[in-house]
Amino acid sequence: MIDAALIDKINNVLAEEFEVDIQKISPEAPLMDTLDLDSLDLVDMVVLIEHNFGFTVVAKDFVGIKSFNDFYHFINSRIDEKGAKE
Amino acid sequence: MKKEPRNEWSGKSRGGATGYLIFVFIIKRAGLRAAYALLSFVALYFIPFAPRATASVWRYSRKILGKGRAASVLFVYRNYLNLGISLIDKTAVSAGLGDRFLFEFDEPANVSSILSGNSGAVIIGAHFGNWEVGAPYFGKYGKRMRVVMMDAEFQSIKKVLEEQKQLDAFSPIPIKDDSFSHIFEIRDALERGEYVAMQGDRLTPNGKSAEVEFMGKRALFPLGPFVLAARFGYPVIFYFAVRSGLRKYRFHFSLYEPAKRQGTVRPETDILNSYTAYLEKTVKDSPGQWYNFYKFWL
Repeated sequence: MIDAALIDKINNVLAEEFEVDIQKISPEAPLMDTLDLDSLDLVDMVVLIEHNFGFTVVAKDFVGIKSFNDFYHFINSRIDEKGAKE
Repeated sequence: MKKEPRNEWSGKSRGGATGYLIFVFIIKRAGLRAAYALLSFVALYFIPFAPRATASVWRYSRKILGKGRAASVLFVYRNYLNLGISLIDKTAVSAGLGDRFLFEFDEPANVSSILSGNSGAVIIGAHFGNWEVGAPYFGKYGKRMRVVMMDAEFQSIKKVLEEQKQLDAFSPIPIKDDSFSHIFEIRDALERGEYVAMQGDRLTPNGKSAEVEFMGKRALFPLGPFVLAARFGYPVIFYFAVRSGLRKYRFHFSLYEPAKRQGTVRPETDILNSYTAYLEKTVKDSPGQWYNFYKFWL
């Protein structure tokens, strides 16, 4: 179960960074299409994750992330991993 | 910011491995002078047999530099000749003949300080002059130079690099159409304190671009190198190597410093504006060493 506060934070950060109406973001919505991401936006995504959630991402992290729900789970799992190490 | 509207460059530069290797053979067996002599004929060949490139140099000479018809005919030939000389020279330097060249450095103290430190740096060059001839120079700081290039272009020169045993020294980061892996490779290289070199003047297929006033007319520049430079937060150095005489090069460096009053200008736009201003100043001093052989200006 993912904390609702974390989902809100992710949605707000993404909506602000990529200038998308937050109402368009839903768990099943396609991440890339909804945010209209291309390879340059991915640079912003990498920096955004590192600044807002405090961990470094690698290329393979993005494999399999299709929807916002996938993205929530990815962020949540990496935060949990980070917490377990600390 | 806009999607690429009319990028005529395919992502692969003209010239095959065979041509390079013929010149390598001549340089090693007969010397640089023989290679230059052969080049004087090869440059002539390109005028009729590379019509799109010739047309782009012609437009550059007539519309950007404002030369007359007769002067432009000569300019087209000299432009091909200059390109050939730069290819021969970089091949000679990479083959260990660097001691036959004279290199001069226009390196401000703030650039020396960055290059001497432990931090990685983004180095932005152009298809102008002969940046590769100076690549070994960066090695004196004991760091690796990683060169970002289109995968198609890398594949076309890979055989040459392997033949010259330069593959490791060159250390490319290829941009593949179906992958974002280069973004992570660039970030990781910077974190390791390496130099990441990119060309800031060549549009990539399907890449984002920005319209900028350059040499008196509007032109499209790629946004990719400038977004990467802006986001990863490492020092940004503009670097051009210009041939200033026979077997003589001058290296120009400039450290990007953010504008004091940026206002609503995005960081990548600010870097791009600084880059094009410095590039324009350098190109105006040596206009015959500009090597973007496609319709560059709008």
